[in-house]
Amino acid sequence: MTVLKEIAAELTGMFVAEKRLTIAVLTVVTMAGCLVDFTELDPLVGGSIVLFGCLTLLIESVCRSARAGTS
Amino acid sequence: MTWSVAAPAVMAAFLASLVEVVEAFTIVLAVATLRGWRSAALGTIAGLAVLAGIVLLLGPLLNRIPLHSLQLAIGILLLLFGMGWLRKASLRAAGIIPLHDEDAIFAAEAAQLGQHQRRQQTNLDWVAGITALKAVLLEGLEVVFIVIAVGAGRGLLMPASFGALAACALVLAAGAIIHRPLSRVPENTLKFGVGVMLSAFGVFWTGEGLGVAWPGQDLALLLFAALFLAAGLTGSALARRISVEIAR
Repeated sequence: MTVLKEIAAELTGMFVAEKRLTIAVLTVVTMAGCLVDFTELDPLVGGSIVLFGCLTLLIESVCRSARAGTS
Repeated sequence: MTWSVAAPAVMAAFLASLVEVVEAFTIVLAVATLRGWRSAALGTIAGLAVLAGIVLLLGPLLNRIPLHSLQLAIGILLLLFGMGWLRKASLRAAGIIPLHDEDAIFAAEAAQLGQHQRRQQTNLDWVAGITALKAVLLEGLEVVFIVIAVGAGRGLLMPASFGALAACALVLAAGAIIHRPLSRVPENTLKFGVGVMLSAFGVFWTGEGLGVAWPGQDLALLLFAALFLAAGLTGSALARRISVEIAR
């Protein structure tokens, strides 16, 4: 049972390194997907939103963790 | 298959597997040192068998998923996984969180097994075997995910698997020769590089899943990797500056 719990925790930890970063990335991707699907936005613009959104979120997350002094 | 996309996929699978196999090897070595190779080998074989079962069970399902949905799902998972590694590697490079220390992990595992030995509460061979199994299974799950993630979108599962197997062979060969934890592997640099590659793949597949025809096609991966590398280095430099300011 402990092994199963640890596997579940490992699987979650693989994709949720930090909750706020995970939620923010999912939000950016969902937003880009909705814009492409529902407003007929050029998919390349949607892809660029994902790219630059993720780059910005990464820097913000690292700086926030540095301020908090935690991982 | 073009080399511009196959080479990064094989490289990402190789480097990521190298990091994971080194971590698993440290724990298996601790088990073997304390309880002999029998428990360590049995635990390792059991872990590999469970991993093989997972691959055999889930592998055929991938062919049933429409390509765009598969690319989108894998792209998002790769983004979350790769950015998680890159974030942690940036924080480690900035000195905010300590570097991964294989010698310390080896000592901690050995101490834990030693404690069990003194208490004699449970069958120690069983505990040692389970410890090895857990290490192989938990680190192996990440290897399996990375191989599937970088390989499935473009039919590169075989080359990515060879990259992972090459990493396993390299670690086992090095471990067999030196018989110590592989603490001199520049793990954070590798994690930084792998985080960059996986994040670049993540954006690439997510975009393709959304219907993007990236300019330059596969070569766009190189641009994305360069941008994530720059973002990771910038984040690390800013984090270092912030910690210095807080220390004052």
